[in-house]
Amino acid sequence: MSLLELVGLSRHFGGLLAVNNCSLSVAPGEIHALIGPNGAGKTTLINLITGVLKPSGGRVRFQGEDITHLPAHLRVHRGLARTFQITNLFKNQTVRANLELAVQARSGSSFRFWQPVAREKHLTEAALAVAEQIGLAQRFEVVVGQLSHGEQRALEVGLALASRPKLLLLDEPMAGMGLEESEKMVELIARLARKHTILLVEHDMGAVFRLAQRISVLVYGQVIASGSPAEIRANPEVHKAYLGEEGDTA
Amino acid sequence: MRWFFPMVLLSLLLAFPPIAAATGLEFYQGLLTKIMVYALAASSLNLILGYGGMVSFGHAAYFGLGAYTVAILMREGVTSAWVIWVAAVGLSGLLALLIGVISLRTRGVYFIMITLAFAQMIYYLVVSFKQYGGEDGLRARRPEFGLFELNDTTLYYLTLGVLLAALYLMHRLVHSRFGRVLQAIRENESRALALGYPVFRFQLVAFVLAGAIAGLAGVLMAHYTQYVSPSLLAWQQSGHLMMMVILGGVGQFWGGVLGAAVLSLVEEVLQDLTIHWQLGVGVILLLIVLFAPQGLAGLLRRKV
Repeated sequence: MSLLELVGLSRHFGGLLAVNNCSLSVAPGEIHALIGPNGAGKTTLINLITGVLKPSGGRVRFQGEDITHLPAHLRVHRGLARTFQITNLFKNQTVRANLELAVQARSGSSFRFWQPVAREKHLTEAALAVAEQIGLAQRFEVVVGQLSHGEQRALEVGLALASRPKLLLLDEPMAGMGLEESEKMVELIARLARKHTILLVEHDMGAVFRLAQRISVLVYGQVIASGSPAEIRANPEVHKAYLGEEGDTA
Repeated sequence: MRWFFPMVLLSLLLAFPPIAAATGLEFYQGLLTKIMVYALAASSLNLILGYGGMVSFGHAAYFGLGAYTVAILMREGVTSAWVIWVAAVGLSGLLALLIGVISLRTRGVYFIMITLAFAQMIYYLVVSFKQYGGEDGLRARRPEFGLFELNDTTLYYLTLGVLLAALYLMHRLVHSRFGRVLQAIRENESRALALGYPVFRFQLVAFVLAGAIAGLAGVLMAHYTQYVSPSLLAWQQSGHLMMMVILGGVGQFWGGVLGAAVLSLVEEVLQDLTIHWQLGVGVILLLIVLFAPQGLAGLLRRKV
């Protein structure tokens, strides 16, 4: 059974069909990459999966249950966590505070008004464990705004990780990264893949073909191909629509 | 050492009424009562504006509703202070719930405008109630507490007690799980949602709490002036509270208290000097916004 299944998912903004009758399934344990040219609807698709946007048609199933109309915050509790293409952190707070907030979201009610949260040592411990996973333990007390771009991107992944997701949705984790930083991120994703199922949206073809077990290609809001990296590489339609210019260098 | 200054201030406040009575400075006891009432109202606004990032331009609605509840219930023969207090706080919270449920679906300028619009609706509603004074307002006699008689001095101590209790409650709240999430939402709403926090619910709870506390401040205001008028509910009143918060420090714990104290004193002094006192207030506010965006509380923190 697939972990995530999209059935005929559509979303239009006025007259523009951003996602058009899109079907996709992510099997447990795999890294499934979603590629496609700019404006193909990749981020819109992520927003439909996480519930930030409501679909105009179609269904979203997660672990066999229909979550099409489930509010966004409850999807996180079910095990769907995302990162953002444009770094989206609590910039004025420390790495520690960022991660503690993420841990707090999954450990008990936050409608507690009396006890000081600073006394909850278990939040700090769990936050530190995540910081170690993403290589930021040494930067635990640093304010996010002072981190390097690569470190911020790692924290972006860390916040998703802290909610103990069953499926990680990574929206262009290498965006804006240099070669060295990208390499670190590829290693991090490969490490995470041992324990997590990952849906990876990425432009860096080198990274995609190294990491993914399956690749789906989105063009004009439609999945035009889905298969193993070798199948995608050999698919003439994909070449025509997308890979042509970049694929040769990959 | 951290508590030295507050403790001195508290001792002075506790000792003030007998000193005032002995030296004929009763006027200043009244002024202090008024300042404490405003400190309570401004602090409640600071909770949503400062810590929650919700720029509500209709906070006078809850303040005024609290005050009018006193006047109307006394007029209708309900004289128990306990009943009146519970009713006023409950009604203000309920009004905040109704306004919040609708307003919190909007953001930015729209949120400011819709909270303002709701408050103005309440204002015109009250003006239209001729049996409760309409534009002229209404007498608000002081209710019976049973345990003590409510006079200027007991009201002073009562207000001080309520203010301290409310500040303690808000201090706990700001540092609790809830408070941390509220501030996280202010800083980055989409990330808070992506972490799994039901953003709307957190904002609504804070909004209702702030409304209820503002209602309580309104009750004390009615006890102080023994008279209520629609001006308590007008947008100028909302702006007045907002000015206090900005002056004192948005999102600074003592912002509401400092702002209320300084603005009230400045108004008092300038009013004696010139009829153009509002110009002076404007200049001071401008200087604060330009040179001390964290308000007086931020300035003090930097100096200490």
